[in-house]
Amino acid sequence: MGSRDLLLFRKQMRSFLYGLVFTARLSASSLAFEHDVRPILERSCVKCHGGEKLKGEVDFTKILTKQDADAQFELWETVIEVIEANEMPPEDEPQLSDAEKKTILNWYQGRSQVVIEAKPAVFKPRRLSGPEYRNTLRSLFGFDLEVAVAEAEQTVISEKSLVLKLLPTDPPGASGFINDTHRARLSPVIWDQYLHLSNAALENLFSKNGRAQLGGFIGNQLSEDWQPVDLSRDQAERLIRAFVPRALRRPTPEEQLSKILAGIFGKHGEALLAATKFELKAILMSPAFFYRGLLMEGDPSKQQAVDNFELAERLSYFLWEDRPDEELTQLATDGSLGDRQVLNKQVTRMLSSPKARNLARSFGTQWLKIDSLDGLLAKDPIRHHALKTQPLDFLNYLFTENRPVLELIDSKITFVNEGTSGFYGKDRQRMKRHVKPNGIERQRTPNQKLKLVHAEGRGGLLTMPGILTMNQGPIQRGTWMLRQILGIQVSEPPANTPPIQGSPHGENLTFRERFEAHRSDPSCARCHEKIDPLGFALEGYDKNGQFLRSTDHSKKKPDKAIEPIDTSGKLPSGETFETFAELKTILLTRKREPIVRNIVERTLAYALCRKLERNDQPVVDTITKNLCENDGTWLGLFQQVANSLPFRETIIKTANTSHE
Amino acid sequence: MNKNWNIERRTFLRSAAGALVPLPFLNLMENSAKAASLDLAGDSSPPLRFVTLFKPNGVHPPSWNIAGGKETDFRMSPLMAPFAKHKNDLLILDNMGDFGFSSHSNSTRRFLSGHHQNKNSASVDQLIADKISGDTAHRSLELTTEGLFTNQIDCSYISYDKNGSPIPRESDPQLVFDRLFRNPMRDPNQREEISSLLDRVRDDAKSLQRKAGREDKETLEEYFTVIRETEQRLENMTPVSGPEGVDFSSLKRPESAGNLNEQVESMLDVMAMALWTDSTRCISYMLGNSNSRMIFDFLGIKKQHHYLSHFFRNFSRSNIDDLLKISLWHMEKFDYLLTKLKSYKDQNGSLLDHSVVLFGSGMGHSDNHTAQRIPMILAGKGGGMLKTGRYLRYSKNQEIGRLHLALLEKFGIDSPSYANSSAPLPGLDGGAFEEYQERPFDTWVKTGKGTITVQGRLRMSDNLDEAKVFYIDVADKPPVRIEVSFGDFHGFNLAYHVGTPITLTGKISERNGRLVLTKVTELKSVFGKSKPGKAKG
Repeated sequence: MGSRDLLLFRKQMRSFLYGLVFTARLSASSLAFEHDVRPILERSCVKCHGGEKLKGEVDFTKILTKQDADAQFELWETVIEVIEANEMPPEDEPQLSDAEKKTILNWYQGRSQVVIEAKPAVFKPRRLSGPEYRNTLRSLFGFDLEVAVAEAEQTVISEKSLVLKLLPTDPPGASGFINDTHRARLSPVIWDQYLHLSNAALENLFSKNGRAQLGGFIGNQLSEDWQPVDLSRDQAERLIRAFVPRALRRPTPEEQLSKILAGIFGKHGEALLAATKFELKAILMSPAFFYRGLLMEGDPSKQQAVDNFELAERLSYFLWEDRPDEELTQLATDGSLGDRQVLNKQVTRMLSSPKARNLARSFGTQWLKIDSLDGLLAKDPIRHHALKTQPLDFLNYLFTENRPVLELIDSKITFVNEGTSGFYGKDRQRMKRHVKPNGIERQRTPNQKLKLVHAEGRGGLLTMPGILTMNQGPIQRGTWMLRQILGIQVSEPPANTPPIQGSPHGENLTFRERFEAHRSDPSCARCHEKIDPLGFALEGYDKNGQFLRSTDHSKKKPDKAIEPIDTSGKLPSGETFETFAELKTILLTRKREPIVRNIVERTLAYALCRKLERNDQPVVDTITKNLCENDGTWLGLFQQVANSLPFRETIIKTANTSHE
Repeated sequence: MNKNWNIERRTFLRSAAGALVPLPFLNLMENSAKAASLDLAGDSSPPLRFVTLFKPNGVHPPSWNIAGGKETDFRMSPLMAPFAKHKNDLLILDNMGDFGFSSHSNSTRRFLSGHHQNKNSASVDQLIADKISGDTAHRSLELTTEGLFTNQIDCSYISYDKNGSPIPRESDPQLVFDRLFRNPMRDPNQREEISSLLDRVRDDAKSLQRKAGREDKETLEEYFTVIRETEQRLENMTPVSGPEGVDFSSLKRPESAGNLNEQVESMLDVMAMALWTDSTRCISYMLGNSNSRMIFDFLGIKKQHHYLSHFFRNFSRSNIDDLLKISLWHMEKFDYLLTKLKSYKDQNGSLLDHSVVLFGSGMGHSDNHTAQRIPMILAGKGGGMLKTGRYLRYSKNQEIGRLHLALLEKFGIDSPSYANSSAPLPGLDGGAFEEYQERPFDTWVKTGKGTITVQGRLRMSDNLDEAKVFYIDVADKPPVRIEVSFGDFHGFNLAYHVGTPITLTGKISERNGRLVLTKVTELKSVFGKSKPGKAKG
C-alpha cells in the first residue's frame, strides 16, 4: 500500500495548494464493482437496461469496469433511489433479494466515501460559438458586421448581425450551453461562411467606413482622401504587426511575423494591397483564430497551470463572451495575471464593463431557458420585449453589482417597464413616466430599477411574469424549477403516459385533484412527488403571471365568489407549506445548499465550456460551501470560479498515445 | 440564348478590363463601339425579365390619382412627377382593385397573388420565373428593405411559392451582390486566391500540429478534413466567369449603406446588374413591409411611415407634408430603377425595353384602406408585349387577378384563371378596353367685387412643397389658384373633392400679382355629395 499512501500524499499536497483540503475518508468497504455489483445488475437489470432494450436510455452492459462505473456518478444516485423505493425491478419482474440490495447500497456508500480527487480536465481546443465569433470579430476590427435591414419594434427576430445570420445556430453542448462547441464540428458550410465573413470584414476595413479602424491598426490617422492603393509598405507592415497578435490573442513570435511579412515584400500599389489582405485573411481563416486554445504552450502529459494568455482568454470568454482586451493581454504578458489578487481585481473590473451584459444574455438566458419566450410571444413584440428584458436586466444586476447569489430567489429589487408595470401594483407609481414621442405607434421602453414595497407575490426571478408565462401550468412550472433552480434531473415522461382523466360523472374535481389520481401510479409518482408541490405552489399566478390575490386570504374578508386556490404542498424531504411565499422561505433555508450548488455547477460548466466531470465535484463542493456559509455573492462566485483548479489548470494528453 | 451576343460581350469586357470600372460607363462604350456588331447578332431576341417593386402603406389619393384624363391625353399627378420623364415607357393603370376595404396583410398578398384568399398558389412573379428563368444561375431574387414583422408575418412577404408559403427575402445589397457575383468557388480570380489560401492555412495548421497534444490533433484533423473537402469542391466546380462569360470582377461591390436611401439605391443597382448579367430574370423587391414602420430620418422625418400614412386619422398639416415627402421618395426610387434599367444596353435596345416592371401597392387609400384605385404601373415594353405611354382607366373596378392573368398570358404561360379571375385584363398591348366615361361638365369662372365663383375640376398643386395649394382648371383660361386657411381646407374637406368637378365660391385677393381664392364661402360638388360627412379625404 506504499504507492497508495504516496498517491494520497500527492493528492493532499495538491489540494492544499489550491485551498481544497480534504480529509481522507477511506471506506472500510471492500466491495468491488466488477465482482460484487456487476453480477447483480446482469442478473436482474440488463433484461430491460442493456443491449437492444434500453429503457430510460440506461445501458448496464456498457458499464464493465470500476472506471466505467465511476464515470456514471449521476446514474448511481438514481439507481439507489429506485431500489430503495422498491420501484425497480418492476413489480412483474423477479425482485432483488435483501442481500443483493444491501450489497449495492453498501457498495454505493463505500464508493461515495472515497475521496474524489480535484483534477482539471484534459485540454481540448474548441471552436468559437456564433456569438463568441461575432463578438471577437467586432472587438478585433472595431466595427460590427451588420445586415442592411430596417428594423422596428415589431421585428422580434433581429436580422441585424451578419455573423449570426450566416452561421448555423449552435446546438447546446453536453453542458447545456452553446459555448460548449465540442459537438458542433467545423463543416464545409461553416468554412464557407467564415470565408465570406472574413472577406466582408476586410472589405469594410479598407472601405471609407473602416478608415478610422484601419488608422488605429496602422498607428496614425489616415487622411480623408487616402485610398487603399496608397497603402505603403511601412503601413502594411504596421497593420500586420498590430493585427496578427490581436487576432490570435497572444504575442506572435517574430519568426512567424517575418514569414507573414515576406508575403508583402517588394510589392506596391494594388499588388501590395491584395497581398496584405491575403495575409490578414489567412489569419482569420487559420484554426488558431476560430478555435480557442490551439496556441497554448504546455508540457505534454502533465497536469499544469494553463499559460497566462489562455487564462486571459478563459476569463474574457467567460465574463464577456469576447476576446481579452489590452489590459488583460498586458497582464498576461508581464505574467502577473496568475496572481490571485490580480485575477480577482480583473474579475471586478470586467464585470463593470458593458460587455459583462453578455453573462446575462448568454449564460443567464441559456441556463434559465428564457429563449422559450421567443416563439411564444412572436405575435406580440412589445410584450415579448417587456417579459424577456425583465429577467435579463435583473440577472445583469445580480451578476454585475455584487449581489448575493440567493437574491435570484428573493430580492427587493426588480426591473420594470410599461409592459410589466401592471404586475407591480402601487409600486409602479414610483416609476418615471415614459412619454412616447409623437408619431411612434408602439414602442419598447427601457426597464427602470424599482424597489418592491407593496407589490404582492413578487421579488426574485421565480415570480417574474415572463418566467411564469414561459412555463404554463403547474407541471411545466414545477419541472422547470426542479431542473433549472434546484438542479435535479428528471427525465421526460414515458411515451405511454395515459392522458389525465376528466372528472368522474357527478364529481367536480380540480385539475390538481384529477392530477393526483393520475400520478398515483408509483412510476409517475417518483418524479411527480418532486415536481408537483413546486408547480402547484404557483397556482396563485395565472398564465400571464398575474398574481390572482394573496393566498393568505383568510385574514381578509372571505370572497365567496372566488374558489380558494390551493397552493399548499409537501416536499419529498418533508417540508410543508401553504403558500408560495412559504415555499420561497423553504427554498432560501432548507434548500439553500442544493440551490447554491446548482448555481455553482451551472456557472462552472459555462465558464469551462464543458459538462462537469467527477473530478470537478470537490471544487463545486468548496465553492458551494463558501457561498453558503458567507452569504456569498455572484462576484465572489465568479472570482472563485476564475481561481478554481479546473479553470486554471489542465492536462495535456500527448499525441503519441493515439495511433496516427 | 444567343451565343454570338454573349461572346461579343465577353470579348468586349475582357478588352476593356479596367477593374471596378462602373458598369454604365462600360455600357456607353459598348453602345458606341459595338452597337453595329451587336445588331448583326440580332437573329434572336434577348431574354425577357420581370421585376416588381412594392410600395408600402398605400397612397395619399389626392396627390396620387390622375385627375381626369384619357388614354393618351392625361396629365400625370403631382406624386408621379419624379418619374414623369419616363411617361413613354409607362402603362399607368387606374381603377384597379375591386374590394371595399383591406387589411395590411391582405393587401400584401393581393399585390402579386391577385386576391388575399389565393393562399395555395404561387405568386405571379414566381410563375413567371418558372417560365423565363432558363439556365440562369438564380431562378429569382426576393428582396426587401425591412425586417420581419413576426406579429403580422403576412405583411412582410409578397412572393409565395407554389404551396403559397412565403419565400424568405434578403435585405442587404452587399450580401445579394456577394451571392450573385462573388461566389468564391466559381470566379476564376477568386478560385486562384482560395487555392493559395487553402495551401497557406494548411501549412500554418501543420506547423501547429507539430507541437500539438492529442486533443489538438483531433481538432486539427477536423480542420484538415474541411480543407480537403473544400479543395475537392473547388475542383469539382466548373470555373465560370459569370453566366455566359461576363467578367464579374469588373462589377463594383456596393459600399455599406449609411442610411435607408443608400441601402435601397444600392439594392436597385445590384438588381440592374443581376438582370444585365443575366444572373437572374425575375426579381421582387419590397420598399418596406406593407405596414412599414420605417422612420425616414434622412428626410428629417421622425414619425413612423405607417402612422403618417393614416393621414386623416392623424391629421395635421405637417403630417401631410411628411407623408408626401416619403411618398415622393418612393416615386424617386421607381424613377431610379427605370433610369438604371435604361442605362444598360441590351442588344438593340435598353434593358428596360426587354423588361416588364410592375410598380404598385396592395391598397389604394392609405388611411381608410380601400382596395380600389390601387396604384399599379407597368413600365418597359417587355420586348414588345406592352404598348406603353398610355393611361388605362377602366370603366369598372378591376380584380388584380385579371392583371396577373394578362401578364401570365403575355409571358406565354397558359392558365385559364388566376386567383378569382378568369378573364385577362384587356388593353395592355393596345387592344380594346372599356374606358371610364366621365359625365361631361362645363367649366367657367365668374368674378365679382372681391369674390369669385369657379366651376371645374379640382386638383392639387403639382408642386408638393406647397401641398396646401389647389387649382381648378378652366378651359381656355389659366387655372384658378386656391390658397385657403387650414379651417377652410378642413371644414370644406377640399382634399376629398380632388379630381372631381366642383363649383367653388369665395373671396379673392391678389398675391404676387395674381388672383388667388383665399376664403371659401361655398363648395358644391357637380355630381357627388358636397358634404361628404365623415368620409375621409
